[in-house]
Amino acid sequence: MNKRRLLFCLITVLVLVAIGACMMVIGRGHTIYFDNKSLEYEGQKYEAIRRINVNVNGEQVAKLSKKERGMATTMGQGFKFDIEVIREKDAEPERYSFDIRIPYGIDGIVVNLPGMIAELPQAAWMEEFIPAPTVEEEEDETPAEGDVMDDFGVGGDL
Amino acid sequence: MKNQTSAGKKVLGFLGSNSVPIMFIIIVAICIPLSGFSPVFLINEIITRMGRNIFLILSLLIPIMAGMGLNFGMTLGAMAGEIALIFVSDWQIWGIPGVVLACIMSIPISVLLGWMCGKILNASKGREMVTSYIISYFTNGLYQLLVLYIMGAIIPIIHNSIKLPRGYGVRQTVGLLTMRQSLDNALAIRVAGVKIPVLTFLIIALMCLLIVWFRRTKLGQDMRAVGQDMEVARDAGINVERTRIISIIISTVLAGFGMIIYLQNMGDMATYSAHSQIGMFCIAALLVGGASVDRASIGNVFLGVVLFHLMFILAPKAGGVITGDEMIGEYFRVFVSYGVITVALVMYETKKRRAKAGMAAQLEAAQREEEQQ
Repeated sequence: MNKRRLLFCLITVLVLVAIGACMMVIGRGHTIYFDNKSLEYEGQKYEAIRRINVNVNGEQVAKLSKKERGMATTMGQGFKFDIEVIREKDAEPERYSFDIRIPYGIDGIVVNLPGMIAELPQAAWMEEFIPAPTVEEEEDETPAEGDVMDDFGVGGDL
Repeated sequence: MKNQTSAGKKVLGFLGSNSVPIMFIIIVAICIPLSGFSPVFLINEIITRMGRNIFLILSLLIPIMAGMGLNFGMTLGAMAGEIALIFVSDWQIWGIPGVVLACIMSIPISVLLGWMCGKILNASKGREMVTSYIISYFTNGLYQLLVLYIMGAIIPIIHNSIKLPRGYGVRQTVGLLTMRQSLDNALAIRVAGVKIPVLTFLIIALMCLLIVWFRRTKLGQDMRAVGQDMEVARDAGINVERTRIISIIISTVLAGFGMIIYLQNMGDMATYSAHSQIGMFCIAALLVGGASVDRASIGNVFLGVVLFHLMFILAPKAGGVITGDEMIGEYFRVFVSYGVITVALVMYETKKRRAKAGMAAQLEAAQREEEQQ
C-alpha cells in the first residue's frame, strides 16, 4: 500500500470515528421523570404543589397533581423545560424555565419539581431512576432450536 | 415487409427478455381490482416498502457487475448491521444519531465478513452463488454463537431489556422504538394522504448516483471487465482476485447499511431470524424487476420492489376473493416469487451452455476450414 493510500485510509477511519463519537454524544437518550412529591432536605420539608404543568419545546408533556409523576424523553446532555405552577385554585400560574445537565452514564433521572422550584442544590432534587427488578422465567426468552436453525419455517431438521 | 419483420422480431425480443416483469405486471393488474384496496392505501404501502427495501437490493448490483452473480452472502452484511444495532440499542443512542452510529459500527464487521466471503468465493470461481448461499449459513452459526453466548458473557451488555434473563445472550426481539422510522419521519411530507419519506429517498437517490459514478471509475471499469471475462481482464493487467474481493466487500457494507435502514423502519429486530430470509427476498425482488444473474440495473431494482411487494400486499386478499381462503393467495405468491429465482437460474445456465456450444461449433467450423485449405 503506498503512502498516499495509507494516509487516505487513516483519515477516513479517523473521520468515521469522530462522527461516531459525535453521534454517541448527541444521540444519547435519557428519560426524565418529573415528580410532584414532598421533599425533605436538611430538616426542612418542601411540600408538593397543587398543580404543575411541564412543557418541553412548547408542548405539554405532563400535568401533575400532588404525588404524581410524569415523564419525557430527550437526546443529548442538556435538557430545557418550562413549568407552570398553580399553587391555589384559580390562582395565576407562576412560570419557571430550567436547563439541566444530564450525566452521560445515566439512562433515566428523577427530578423533584418542588425541590427545583425552591432552588435547592442539584443533589437534593435529582436522582438516578432505577427500574424495579422484574422476575422472569429463564427459558421463555431463550430461542428454541427451531427458531435458530430453521430458516424456512417448516420446523424440525433440514 | 422487411421493416415489419424486424419490428416484430424487436417486439418478440423485448417480450422475451422482459417476460418476468411483464408476467408480474399482468398478475398485479388482475389482483388490484380483485383485492378492493384503495389506490391511496396501495401507494402508501408501496412507498413505505420502497424506502425500507431498495437500499438492500441496491447492494446486489456491484457483485453482478463483477460477474459474481446474485450475492446470497449479503446476509453477512445484514448480520453486521444487526450486531451494530444491538450495541447501539444497548448504549441508548436514539434517533438518527443511532442509525448513523450503527452504520459506522457495521462497517468494520461488514468489511471483515465481506473479505472472508470474497476470499472463499475466489476459491470457488464459477460456483459463487451456491457458495455464498452456504457461507451465509456458516456465518449464521458464528452470529448465533456471538449473540447467544458471547454477548453479555464476554462482551458487556448492560440493559436487561436486551439481555436474556439468564444473564448472557440477547433476547429474541430487540426493541428499536427509540429509532423507529427516525429516517422516514425526518423531512417526511404528505401528498394527498400519501406519506413520502423524503430523507430515505434522498439517501437512496444518493446511493443510485454513487453506483452510476462508481461504474465509470477505474475500479468500476475493472469490475465490468472481470465480469465479462476473467482471463481477458487478467491479461489486461487487472488483479482479478482483488477486484472480486472488493466487489463483495462493497456489497456486504451496503447490505449492512440497508439492513439498518430496513430495521429502523420496522421498529424492532428479530435477533435470530431477521437476516435469514433477507437475501432471498432481495434477490427475488431484483429478478422480478427483470434482472438476470449477469445483468442488473437500478431500474430493475425499483421495478422489482414495486412488483414484488405489490404481490405481498395483493396476493392474500385477491386469493381470498377468488378461492375464499387468503392462504391460497399467499401460497401462490410464494410459489410465483421463488419460482422466478429458479427460472432465472435455469435460464442463465441454459444461456451459458448455448453460448459455449456456439463457440465450440465456431471453433469446429474454423478447424474444418483450416483442414480443407
